[in-house]
Amino acid sequence: MSGSAGEVKPDAALGLEGIPHTGEGVTSDGHLIEPQAEDFRHARQAPEDADWFKRAVFYEVLVRAFADSSSDGTGDLRGLASRMDYLQWLGVDCLWLPPFYASPLRDGGYDISDFRAVLPDFGTVDDFVYVLDEAHRRGIRVITDLVLNHTSDAHPWFQASRSDPDGPYGDFYVWGDDDQKYPDARIIFVDTESSNWTYDPVRGQFYWHRFFSHQPDLNYENPEVQEAMLDVLRFWLDLGIDGFRLDAVPYLFEQEGTNCENLPHTHEFLKKCRKVVDDEFPGRVLLAEANQWPSDVVAYFGDPEVGGDECHMAFHFPLMPRLFMAVRRENRFPISEILAQTPAIPAGCQWGIFLRNHDELTLEMVTDDERDYMYAEYAKDPRMKANIGIRRRLAPLLDNDRNQQELFNAMLLSLPGSPVLYYGDEIGMGDNIWLGDRDGVRTPMQWTPDRNAGFSSCDPNRIYLPVNADPVYGYQAVNVEAHLNNNSSLLHWTRRMIEVRKQHPAFGLGDFTELGSSNPSILAYIRTYSADGAADTVVCVNNLSRFPQPVELHLGEFEGCVPVELTGGVRFPAIGELPYLLTLPGHGFYWFQLTAATDEGEAP
Amino acid sequence: MTSSPTEVITELADALREWLPTQRWFAGKDRPVESVRPVHAVSLVDGDPALLHSVIEVRQNGSADRYQLLLGLRADLPEHLGHAWIGTRAQLACYDATQDTELTGLLLDLIARGETHAGLDFQHEPGAELEIALRSRPVGAEQSNTSLVYGHHYILKLFRKLVTGTNPDLTLHRALRTQRCEHIAEPLGAIQGSLNGEEVTFGMLQRFLPDAADGWAMATASVRDLMAEGDLHPDEVGGDFAGEARRLGQAVAEVHADLAAALGSGSEGSDLLDRTVDAMQRRLDAVLASVPELGAHEAGLRSAFDAARELSEPIAVQHIHGDLHLGQVLRTVLGWVLIDFEGEPAAPAAERLSLRSPLRDVAGMLRSFDYAAHQLLVGHPGGSGAEDQLTVRALEWARRNRDAFCDGYAEKAEDPREHAVLLRALELDKAVYEVAYEHGNRPEWLAVPLSSIARITGS
Ligand SMILES: Nc1ncnc2c1ncn2[C@@H]1O[C@H](COP(=O)(O)OP(=O)(O)OP(=O)(O)O)[C@@H](O)[C@H]1O
Ligand SMILES: [Mg+2]
Repeated sequence: MSGSAGEVKPDAALGLEGIPHTGEGVTSDGHLIEPQAEDFRHARQAPEDADWFKRAVFYEVLVRAFADSSSDGTGDLRGLASRMDYLQWLGVDCLWLPPFYASPLRDGGYDISDFRAVLPDFGTVDDFVYVLDEAHRRGIRVITDLVLNHTSDAHPWFQASRSDPDGPYGDFYVWGDDDQKYPDARIIFVDTESSNWTYDPVRGQFYWHRFFSHQPDLNYENPEVQEAMLDVLRFWLDLGIDGFRLDAVPYLFEQEGTNCENLPHTHEFLKKCRKVVDDEFPGRVLLAEANQWPSDVVAYFGDPEVGGDECHMAFHFPLMPRLFMAVRRENRFPISEILAQTPAIPAGCQWGIFLRNHDELTLEMVTDDERDYMYAEYAKDPRMKANIGIRRRLAPLLDNDRNQQELFNAMLLSLPGSPVLYYGDEIGMGDNIWLGDRDGVRTPMQWTPDRNAGFSSCDPNRIYLPVNADPVYGYQAVNVEAHLNNNSSLLHWTRRMIEVRKQHPAFGLGDFTELGSSNPSILAYIRTYSADGAADTVVCVNNLSRFPQPVELHLGEFEGCVPVELTGGVRFPAIGELPYLLTLPGHGFYWFQLTAATDEGEAP
Repeated sequence: MTSSPTEVITELADALREWLPTQRWFAGKDRPVESVRPVHAVSLVDGDPALLHSVIEVRQNGSADRYQLLLGLRADLPEHLGHAWIGTRAQLACYDATQDTELTGLLLDLIARGETHAGLDFQHEPGAELEIALRSRPVGAEQSNTSLVYGHHYILKLFRKLVTGTNPDLTLHRALRTQRCEHIAEPLGAIQGSLNGEEVTFGMLQRFLPDAADGWAMATASVRDLMAEGDLHPDEVGGDFAGEARRLGQAVAEVHADLAAALGSGSEGSDLLDRTVDAMQRRLDAVLASVPELGAHEAGLRSAFDAARELSEPIAVQHIHGDLHLGQVLRTVLGWVLIDFEGEPAAPAAERLSLRSPLRDVAGMLRSFDYAAHQLLVGHPGGSGAEDQLTVRALEWARRNRDAFCDGYAEKAEDPREHAVLLRALELDKAVYEVAYEHGNRPEWLAVPLSSIARITGS
């Protein structure tokens, strides 16, 4: 695979000729010249707001899949910008774009060959600035993935490192004379890799890689590497980006006698990243991707004494499969348990939670007893196994059942954490199982019933993946236009729910307390937030069963309050001395605001 | 107050005779109440409202049982206490004070302070630090005692029908606490006293588990899910309960091990077996006399019981739960918890406190899985194709979860199925008891134990 002795020129075959890119020139001391932020126009800033990420609804959008402005069959940044009105209408606050950097695309763009250039298929750095500008103009923010741990082997740094061991990049990667060091580090991609070391015939040494062999790990022991990566952060932050999802953070450093994960040096470097953000770009965020148990992930928030001094956010991975398990079991305990095991996080931090994304929990990355539990409870169940192992979209996972899609989204929007929606799920798009598990959920966004689903005006044969033409989920039935025309569509429903969420700070900022009840099929909780003497108290009740269920809630401390249902504004009977009785339809849910009896609550 | 507490109760005797049979916890509803008299009465709070603590003796054709009563007295009974009214004397409304949160808070305060008050001994467990001044509420569940919940923290069970000696619920909970058993609601305190020189337990305070759902609700949700599918087997449906049943089996085995470690265990031979089988046969005689439907199974039952008599290996005995079923276990986010170690309510106190085979608890749980599986079919005559299909599913569910329970138990202790003959006899004995109970109380449920007996005995 990699390490092929071929004479790869630093910037060859990446389609960057004529575009600013790393290695266009070389300084007299052998340093590669890299594009600078000053070379480009900068986007206007998003409105100032330190806590925005705690209240935000995120929307993951694949540039390739959203809209094609150049009619070449591949979505691009200008196409994304052209759909910004839709995203504003939907009400999302922040777009998360998976990597759009220059890349040989051997790992979906996570194999970055130039941190300072955009993949030509998607456009240019200027196009990205345009996207930022269009988003910020509408109050929408944008974050993107950044891979700190490694680069593509096509990155000019690696090419320089292998060919000139004594040059300025000689020590940028982790080189060894043999493949014996760090034997305790597990091999993550056991299916494709047999070792964390690969021999490079050009340099005549082995290089270290925690992921694919075409993705050499950067050598963070080298202060120049640290500086170079901090400068990559600054490059994009200067242009106006609102933050980064830092990919694969646990693996930055290596140390003999350890498993080379979560090492103290790794945390020290993250603190440096955070300091750059705090000192130079306040209000921008770092989101850690550490596919681990919440009790281990909290380390990536940093010191709780100062409200957190590493990443502002981290994904809560195990919640997602537990949601599916709980509804399948018609029983709240899979969710209640994981929430009870989730430690408190520093004041300045927030979880990111999701139902679906492009790349999900694999049981291999979950550890200890919990894995046993997951296996025992649910990997045995072929349907559940499919839910986590294979990537599928929400609607087909739920048999296209509208009630369940609403229930899952209602939980996503009300549980503690900032929800991350996946493009297309708001209209109930399906997956194309014939494309395999990676591409099946990455088909073009379905805008209209017209040719190519309105995604591109190219010849249908040119499109990067065929649009979904399934009789149920295909673009002719499922598309934004049809949903817009139908007031009771899932899209309109989703928009309304996002709107309700935004009106109540309790969802994003509030405390979470589960309300037990004797009915195991009901998951109920209270979100409370008070500031400036005003309290926002929201009670959420979810019926995980397909059958109607009664529940008695113990709301004694709110005696006299009137619950006001949040989607319609209907006032429910006041809370009295006795337990509060509710009945819920199958897979039904309620969101109530608790208001003082005299208070009229909010207008419907 | 002009009259003494004892006089108040005496004057209320007629009202109490009327009131007792309307109470869920009153055990003698099947027989007329002949007389009620106070055997103990003290004042805990004077003034308005006033609170009396008393024990009454209730006579019903030949038997005399003692019940605990907390009596409130008020000049004006507020509307929300109307349901608790018992009678009126000397212009004071007399009512069940367990429903009056203004009065019940005192009980927690006294336990927290560890005081002896009016001859009652309010205790907290060593090391237990209690929060006081918590809002209390009655549990409101159908139960044979009366429990009060304080905040989200504690639950105080006030025993209604009293037994002499320390209540096994308290004894066993305290023993399990010394073992740091994880499968109980931690005991935090007690109200003890004495009657005629003998120790009596009036109440027990435990940690309240606000997130708990009981095993019966959990299991029936699973069965409901299965029944709705029809064409799927229990291991294929989303509501599969086997994982829970397995963990429940582990929990029961761990509680047994902790009880044995704390309170000792022993081993018995043919003597115990003879006594056990004699009791089974006697129970069968009695039930056969009143439930003719059981006749068809008599031979099978007798030979299953007698087979246990022939066992030669010694039987391990220890303190056990004594009345274990799905309604006595709670699922919490930390796992399964066993509650209510009072033992079988109908059994004499001596038997409740004796060392017995832990297989009794296992048999109780196995019967409960059978019940949970069949409860949705009760009231449906059967015979139609769809009903038969559901019956098959119910049996599959019961088998799968009984096995899973035993598997879990066997992961922590000896596999109960190693003692198949004794386990079978114990299960059948329990089913015979159920036949009598259902015959007397819920005739439409009679088919559940009867069909189990038919299946187990192969008759
Ligand atoms: N520690 C606890 N935490 C939460 N709920 C509890 C706790 N203990 C008991 N409960 C609830 O209260 C109910 C009654 O408890 P318990 O079985 O101890 O009383 P009981 O009077 O002996 O009832 P029964 O007559 O049904 O056996 C239980 O079914 C359970 O739902
Ligand atoms: Mg590394």
